[in-house]
Amino acid sequence: MSHAFDALRSSAPDAYFVLDDDDRVLHVSLEFHDTRGRGVGHVLWDHLPRAREIYEPYFVEARATGQPIEAVIFYAGRLKRLLVIPGGDGLAVHVENIVELDVTSLGTLTRSLEQVATALADPGSAQRDSRARASLRALP
Amino acid sequence: MLDEGDRIVEVGTSAQSQFGPLVGTVIWESFPGSEPLFKPYYDKARQTREPVEFVQFYDGNVARVRAVPNEDGLLELHWEALARLDTLTLGSLAETLEESLELLDEQEAGMHRARVRGALRVIEGGT
Repeated sequence: MSHAFDALRSSAPDAYFVLDDDDRVLHVSLEFHDTRGRGVGHVLWDHLPRAREIYEPYFVEARATGQPIEAVIFYAGRLKRLLVIPGGDGLAVHVENIVELDVTSLGTLTRSLEQVATALADPGSAQRDSRARASLRALP
Repeated sequence: MLDEGDRIVEVGTSAQSQFGPLVGTVIWESFPGSEPLFKPYYDKARQTREPVEFVQFYDGNVARVRAVPNEDGLLELHWEALARLDTLTLGSLAETLEESLELLDEQEAGMHRARVRGALRVIEGGT
C-alpha cells in the first residue's frame, strides 16, 4: 500500500497543499506559494468562498476510506483535477488546472465552456469519476 | 472621452479610479480583446454623428454603453454596469450567464445562447 501511495504521489500534480483533520492548511507546495501561501495555519474554507460544498465530500471520503480519491471539479472559473491522498502527515490535495474559462467575450467564454465539456467527455483528458459528475450536476 | 484615434483624452470624476491612469493611451491597448466588441459601435456613432447605445459583454461584465459624438470630433462614452458573471461555481456561472444573455440584444445573445446552453448541458452530464 505504501509503495502504491508513493507511486501515486510521485505522479501527482506538483501543486498541492496538506491539511490536518480540521482542514487547516499545514503546508503548501512551491507552486501554491503565491496563491495559497498566506493560508498556511488557517482553515482552508476561510479563504475559499463556497468551496466547502465542492471539495469537502472528497476529503471526507479519502479520510473515511484511507484511499486516494481522484475527481474533477469546477471552482473559481477553472476545471480542475483533484487527487486527494490521505496520509499520516495529513491529507495531501493535489490540484491540476485542466481548463480555465476565458470571459473576455461571449465568444471566448463559449469556446472555453466547450473545452470544459470536451474535457469532461474525454476520459483521456479528464477523469470521469462518478463523484465528480455528481458534483457537476450542481447546475440548475 | 476618446479622440478620433480612440485615445483616452479625458475622464469623468466617477471613472477616474479606473480610467484616470489611462489618459493618453489608446483604449484598446488597455483592454485586450475589446476592440471588435466596441469599435464598430463607436465608428457608427462617429459616422452618423448620432448617439449610439448598446449593451455589451466584456471581461465577465455586462454594461450598457452610450457613445455620443460631439462637434469637436471627440466621442463621449457613458457606462452603466448591469451584471457580472460569477464563475465561482457551476451553479452561479449558469445563473449569472443566463442573466447576462437576457440583457444582451437578441442578435448577439442569439448567436451564443444555443452553444452556451449546449456546453452547459454536456458539463452537467445531460448527454
